[in-house]
Amino acid sequence: MAAYLVRRILAVIPVMAVVVTIVFLLIHLIPGDPVSVMLGPDASPAQIQATRAALGLDRPIHQQLVTFYARVLRGDLGHSYYLDRPVTRALAERAEPTIVLTLCALLVAMAIGVPSGIVAAAHRGSWWDRGLMLVSLLGVCIPGFWLSLNFIFLFAVRLGWLPAAGYASILSEPRAALTYMVLPAVSLGFSQSALIARIARSCMLDVLGQDYIRTARAKGLHPRTVTYVHAFRNALVPVVAVIGITTAILIGGAVVTEIVFNIPGLGRLVITAILRRDYPVVQGVVLATAAVYVVINLMVDLLYAFIDPRIRYE
Amino acid sequence: MRGSAVVRSAFLALAFAAVAGLAVVPADAQVKGGVLRVGNLGEPPSLDAHWTTASITETLTNHIYEGLYSLDKDNKPIPMLAESHTVSKDGLVYTFKLRQGVKFHNGKEMTSEDVVPSLARWGKQSIYGKALFAQVDTWKAIDKYTVEMKLKEKSAIVLISLAVPNNFGAIYPKEIAEKFEPAVKATEYIGTGPYKLAEWKPDQYIRMVRFDDYKPRNEKPNGYGGGKTAYLDEIRWVPVPEVATRVAQVETGELDFADDLNLDAYDRLKRNSAVRPIVSKPYYWLVAVFNKKEGLMTNQKLRQAWQAAIDIEPIMKTVAGGKSEFYRMDNSLAPLEISAWHTKMSGLPWNERNKDKAKKLLQEAGYKKEPIRFMTTQEYKWMYDFALLTKQQLEDVGFNIDLQVVDWATLVKRRNNPKEYDAFTTGMGAFYDPTHHIYLTSSWPGWTHDEDILSLQSELARETDPKKRMALWEKQTRQFYEKVPVIRYGDLFGLRAARTNVKGFNESTERIRFYNVWLEK
Repeated sequence: MAAYLVRRILAVIPVMAVVVTIVFLLIHLIPGDPVSVMLGPDASPAQIQATRAALGLDRPIHQQLVTFYARVLRGDLGHSYYLDRPVTRALAERAEPTIVLTLCALLVAMAIGVPSGIVAAAHRGSWWDRGLMLVSLLGVCIPGFWLSLNFIFLFAVRLGWLPAAGYASILSEPRAALTYMVLPAVSLGFSQSALIARIARSCMLDVLGQDYIRTARAKGLHPRTVTYVHAFRNALVPVVAVIGITTAILIGGAVVTEIVFNIPGLGRLVITAILRRDYPVVQGVVLATAAVYVVINLMVDLLYAFIDPRIRYE
Repeated sequence: MRGSAVVRSAFLALAFAAVAGLAVVPADAQVKGGVLRVGNLGEPPSLDAHWTTASITETLTNHIYEGLYSLDKDNKPIPMLAESHTVSKDGLVYTFKLRQGVKFHNGKEMTSEDVVPSLARWGKQSIYGKALFAQVDTWKAIDKYTVEMKLKEKSAIVLISLAVPNNFGAIYPKEIAEKFEPAVKATEYIGTGPYKLAEWKPDQYIRMVRFDDYKPRNEKPNGYGGGKTAYLDEIRWVPVPEVATRVAQVETGELDFADDLNLDAYDRLKRNSAVRPIVSKPYYWLVAVFNKKEGLMTNQKLRQAWQAAIDIEPIMKTVAGGKSEFYRMDNSLAPLEISAWHTKMSGLPWNERNKDKAKKLLQEAGYKKEPIRFMTTQEYKWMYDFALLTKQQLEDVGFNIDLQVVDWATLVKRRNNPKEYDAFTTGMGAFYDPTHHIYLTSSWPGWTHDEDILSLQSELARETDPKKRMALWEKQTRQFYEKVPVIRYGDLFGLRAARTNVKGFNESTERIRFYNVWLEK
């Protein structure tokens, strides 16, 4: 197990090196210029040149790349042009909202998805089954930003139950944080719950069709015990895999949700940074996100072993 | 019986309360206090007023800093930190008296020691500062409250350059003005303005709080200048990049003021009794800027054909979402609101809608359907809309338009390279002096290097007699429509919204200001 862990962690290094290079080249090769954006529409070319030089943007791109490697190795992601602070600090400031949002959305997705999948499977072919699967189909189909804007219009503007947008830190103002988080978490979690529900249903159906379930029923066990104790645990492995993937998708989906609900998280940071061509920030966010994906993958693999004793890594 | 007594005493109590209320708080009495939450579309690149022309920086920094001059309601220069000025007989020496007892947010008094390095820095970085300092021979302090500017030649733009609110000559304390190189943005923000910066959390909020030692001028509020009073305890600027969210938040009251809204929200906001929609003008006149350095559009006939072909009203109507409140048909290069430079001229070849003339000009130009690269962006919907309609109209008369839709950052980069485009879309905001019209210079993208236009521009910079200047400006306008360095479409207006309890807001300035604004309890 320990050897496996070490191997997996070492494998991360080449992955991250590739990510670092690709990210750097991608953002520098797309047209656009941070200085023109920052100096505003009326700036003169001479003004732009002077500022480019001051930021070191006039150096050849391979030199800039080498500087970038050297910095990343030292754990320094550079300095944001636009935000006037080190990228690592910007990332740290924006991590909390994204983590809270992703976790809340994940909770919503699981709370809706797992039970609906199990209920649908347990009552296969019933109205329950059809109804739940129809809702989950809708969930997969409706675009997140459309749902978000409609939630805002209905629950904030029309009914006035919840704030339309904004964010409060869960650490300093837990109650306000909760009211701000409801709409974004539900609109982000809902579409993912659909995916989880469908996977949970099909996995349950697989398991429910197996011999040991028939045996359990033949022993005279209560149907509920069969479904929720014997079948559920075995159906859980693929569901955990999907939840892992879902977490990754949620981080991506959080970009749109953060923009619409004005949450100052990493998603909003990266979008605004791309529009402003704030190269160091884009590189930093993508690197951090890649690192998170890698870690989630690792954790999912380890969780398999925990849930299913048959899986052991040698 | 008892019931009616209750009703009567309730009525009396109400009437009493109403009278008492009236006596204590007369209608529209200014009240101190409260936090004004303002939603705008983004984050400023800097709060260094000298450093960038970005309009968001202009809006924010004008609450923190002040310049020697400001603009009155007619957009003419009036003193702000200056008390007065004198000009020598030959017009070459300007002597400015500074106001005494004006304090910076750090408690230090503002003197010539601060004014000289501040404007010297501004003169090296700001587009307006550079234009002015190109004419300056010496710039120095005479005594604590007097500064002197000696010019190389007579200049018409001294006061207006010191008064423009964009990329403006803000006075910083000496230490800050000297610490930061002009090309490097300052990261310490201390001014003399009615509000001081308290906290800046990028993409979350910028908090400005009342500066209690602010020394207002004695005059009444006048345009951007005059007496300024900070009634609010705090202005909290909240960047809300998604426009639909800004609209929703001003409707729910999470924001007290929202700037830069989409025009389709107008009807919805009008129906909400707690919100007052505000049509903001001047905003922009829409413009297609030609590359006159290289490529097809160096051909003047081709530019004239474009000007002759377009039918501006339907374009403006579409861009304004079909609402006549949001556009204006006008051929003056300065908008109506800049009354000093607004021209009322007839017989100009503006909005001719003359297809035959356009076709004839195309023929004379020797145009053979070569594709014309026209850059626009969807980041500003109005730009995309007017580019698309222009393409249709031009192709009707025989143009071949290659519409290139890119993001804004790409557009502003590419427009500096004469090899990459033939025309691009943008908007022209308020220019307060003829010499500030950037599209009439040879350095700004598009590169207007026509001898006649440039020589008139430099004459306008030297001529100090207002009447003669206006005559020159009219001549320049006529020349503009003949040489067509850019295409002037119509005026587009913007939309902002305030909660009805926001009082004292001046609706007639181009950009928002919140001094003299208070919140009704």
